[in-house]
Amino acid sequence: MACNLSERTRAGIINPIFTCQPAGAQFASIGIKDCIGLVHGGQGCVMFVRLIFSQHFKESFELASSSVHEEGAVFGALKRVEEGVDVLLMRYPHVRVIPIISTCSTEIIGDDIDGVVVKLNEGLLKEKYADREVYLVPIHSPSFVGSMISGYDSAVRDIVKYFATKSDPNGKINLFTGWVNPGDVTALKHLLSEMDIEANLLFEIEEFDSPLMPDGQHVSHGETTVEDLRDTGNAFASIALNRYEGGKAAQYLEDELGIPATIGPTPIGIRNTDAFLQTLKKITGKPIPQALVKERGIAIDALTDLTHMFLAEKKVAIYGNPDLVIGLAQFCIDLEMKPMLLLLGDDNPNYARDPRILKLKEKVDWDMDIITNSDLFEMEDRIKNKGLDLDLILGHSKGRFTAIDYKIPMVRVGFPTYDRAGMYRHPVVGYAGAIWLAEQMANALFTDMEYKGEREWSLNVW
Amino acid sequence: MPHHEFDCSTCIPERKKHAVVKGPGETIADALPAGYLSTIPGSISERGCAYCGAKHVIGTPMKDVLHISHGPVGCTYDTWQTKRYISDNDNFQLKYTFATDMKEKHVIFGAEKLLKQNILEAFKAFPDIKRMTLYQTCASALIGDDINAIADEVMEELPDVDIFVCNSPGFRGPSQSGGHHTICIAWFKDKVGTVEPKITSDYVINYVGEYNIQGDQEVMQDYFKRMGIQVLSTFTGNGSYDDLRSMHRAHLNVLECARSSEYLCNELRVKYGIPRLDIDGFGFAPLSDSLRKIGLFFGIEDRAEEIIAAETARWKPELDWYKERLTGKKVCLWPGGSKLWHWAHAIHEEMGVEVVSVYTKFGHQGDMEKGIARAEEGALAIDDPNELESLEAMYKLKPDCIFTGKRPGEFAKKVRVPYLNAHAYHNGPWKGYEGWVRFARDIYNAIYSPIHRLALVDISKDELPSESGFQTRRMLSDVNLSDEIKNASELRQYTGKFDVTPDLRNKTALDYPYLRQDKLEQLV
Repeated sequence: MACNLSERTRAGIINPIFTCQPAGAQFASIGIKDCIGLVHGGQGCVMFVRLIFSQHFKESFELASSSVHEEGAVFGALKRVEEGVDVLLMRYPHVRVIPIISTCSTEIIGDDIDGVVVKLNEGLLKEKYADREVYLVPIHSPSFVGSMISGYDSAVRDIVKYFATKSDPNGKINLFTGWVNPGDVTALKHLLSEMDIEANLLFEIEEFDSPLMPDGQHVSHGETTVEDLRDTGNAFASIALNRYEGGKAAQYLEDELGIPATIGPTPIGIRNTDAFLQTLKKITGKPIPQALVKERGIAIDALTDLTHMFLAEKKVAIYGNPDLVIGLAQFCIDLEMKPMLLLLGDDNPNYARDPRILKLKEKVDWDMDIITNSDLFEMEDRIKNKGLDLDLILGHSKGRFTAIDYKIPMVRVGFPTYDRAGMYRHPVVGYAGAIWLAEQMANALFTDMEYKGEREWSLNVW
Repeated sequence: MPHHEFDCSTCIPERKKHAVVKGPGETIADALPAGYLSTIPGSISERGCAYCGAKHVIGTPMKDVLHISHGPVGCTYDTWQTKRYISDNDNFQLKYTFATDMKEKHVIFGAEKLLKQNILEAFKAFPDIKRMTLYQTCASALIGDDINAIADEVMEELPDVDIFVCNSPGFRGPSQSGGHHTICIAWFKDKVGTVEPKITSDYVINYVGEYNIQGDQEVMQDYFKRMGIQVLSTFTGNGSYDDLRSMHRAHLNVLECARSSEYLCNELRVKYGIPRLDIDGFGFAPLSDSLRKIGLFFGIEDRAEEIIAAETARWKPELDWYKERLTGKKVCLWPGGSKLWHWAHAIHEEMGVEVVSVYTKFGHQGDMEKGIARAEEGALAIDDPNELESLEAMYKLKPDCIFTGKRPGEFAKKVRVPYLNAHAYHNGPWKGYEGWVRFARDIYNAIYSPIHRLALVDISKDELPSESGFQTRRMLSDVNLSDEIKNASELRQYTGKFDVTPDLRNKTALDYPYLRQDKLEQLV
């Protein structure tokens, strides 16, 4: 009875958990205001990423391609980056930032995106756009390294590295949220506001849940400005909620600009939210107000209604973004549930050294497997062939058929969650997130009890 | 005929030749935009890549196959669960996808060993499946892995498996269309003629360029079966790998989406002498004509007429109910490739809508020729549209509905134009007689959505009617209709089921004797 950490043993991937690095860089790019990323590679690398964003958020986001065709692949395609930048600037007069995002093809053919940025800065931007402020940020995201997670982490670091400038202290903290939803941003801003703390939030993506307005405003985009990015250099502290999504940027600011960084824990569940508030208290000296004590109380009250009656000993598998998965596992354990299988979808060697994983290995007193570099077939194979018995699955929509085919209730969480309505609107972080998650899990179990006719009568008197 | 210059594209003058307005009395000789040219970088075109054209559009609808891509994981992930090509074997092809997971070390030292391991593992993980399609990606193409050699090696080691290789990296050509071409030719060259089928009818067809979106193929196959025709294979929706290896034995290739797969029909005609017959599964008249043509080819027109009469009697009153309410509504017909000409005239004539614009993302000039020929005067035709041009067109044309993809649909939503998914459909299937009514029903539901009406209101400025707590769709759609039409007893709304595929799958076909077989037995 123990927690084991291992790697996928098959060479290949059957049903991937993550997509590749350029998608992560593109997710960072859409968080910036007046910014359109230019992805240097084949058109599919953009078209499908835009599609998955629109599947998840039910919105369309602007991202461009350098449209590398055969001749570019053979003779080099930097000309197409130059043309792409020019076309974007001509047609989108508000654009100030263009991240130039590499892909597997353009990394393999050796296109020098750093060099082309220098060339454009010296040439096109001076000659044609002298009166305009334009920032070209090269982001290397070869698809054959890491995953969308590392792509996001590196991109956030590269963007911060490009802009962060030390001038006057701004009295703010930097808050790197990681790969979250608009609902999470709302919940985080609420906690910060209750604590009376001003934060530079990266990225400000609350507007990804954008309205359908009578005047026909048509584009959803993030709200983090160039000024905000520059201002990251003037914070007195940084918090990266997620070790693997934004941690690199916080670390960069600590190493290079001396801004102390706190990395994690991801504020999922009561305990991690408590830790987040403690961190805020520690670095700002501000007290935790009664309003949050009450909010926490409401959450604890809600959880108490569910845990020992319904959630205790429920066996759960969790997959998705690493910090999310670990945070959910910790929360489930607090809810008396038994995480049996955690799947992390890439080969980041740091997982083996992650203190949270080390703690699980040390303390979990049932059979629990953590598989890194995993795929979704790992879960199905264990259910089908290796006797893994699950009561619940927590994960994103790409695993939906395992839940459907094996009749296991599932709560959609993470990215992408296209097969349930409005999931991006709800937080998983903070006390609000704890309530939402626990009640979603309970309701999924209740629906399943009724559907299968298993103890459905027990809900009569609850 | 003027080329149309978008305000947003004056700075990229080469775009001007990609859009035209069909003027009064003009033909395609006057109005034809350039097509299938290199995409302008940074234009935010909607095009995909040649890998997805091969793998995602054509390869993956094949239902009894392991579909594996040789490259980093993204290509596989991105082209998984983003389409609605179902199958009658529990949607295996939707549920499972395989990536060789190429990493940096493989890029440097080669990934052929990795590929072989992957293939063996995949067959081991799914021991009941013995067929595989294997796709090159940008990365594996550029490092020069010999994918065919590895596939051959595995087939030698595992004699009961068969592997099809498609070398169509993402950069191959200006759009997904390059991939359609590549996979058609590769399938023809490598696989057709390698299996001998069991012939069970005097009339044998391949159904080509049909991807079983929401069950389209199953609807059409039902008509063919009712005519006593054996559908030897479908390329590729709900299609079976081994059936598709035996395409050479058909008497006729019935071609639906010519854009994606006419290449295959043309090759089959050259090598095996199998004629090509282009059909339309969309629209009562085009579909009826199509069934007649097939009937005529085989000399079984009566069987076709029987189906046409029965289906028309059953569904025409429902189509007409919608036609009365959709007449004059403006739509933009903005699909990917061929639907602009499959739909342009049919939705105008049978649903009464005005097609104010057609566009194609990856179509060639031939698609535009057909689309423009069938579109009405004044229609704006756009090749390889980009985001700003689409927006400008929507503001200018003020359509009541647009038919386009999922993501552009979200974008249209924000300018308060309801959209229907032209690629994956809303509540399809949309082929067949019943399907065409479902399409009309979906358009009606989009255009007359009370919520859509509320989206047009600015509560800070507009006067609001005080009396209504709700609006039904008919309160909106019937407001200008005559009482005669409103109360017409012969017209009715759609009466079919939510899901039409189970009934089709449970059906047993009419039994026409296989005459040639009988004759053969008499001779013996």
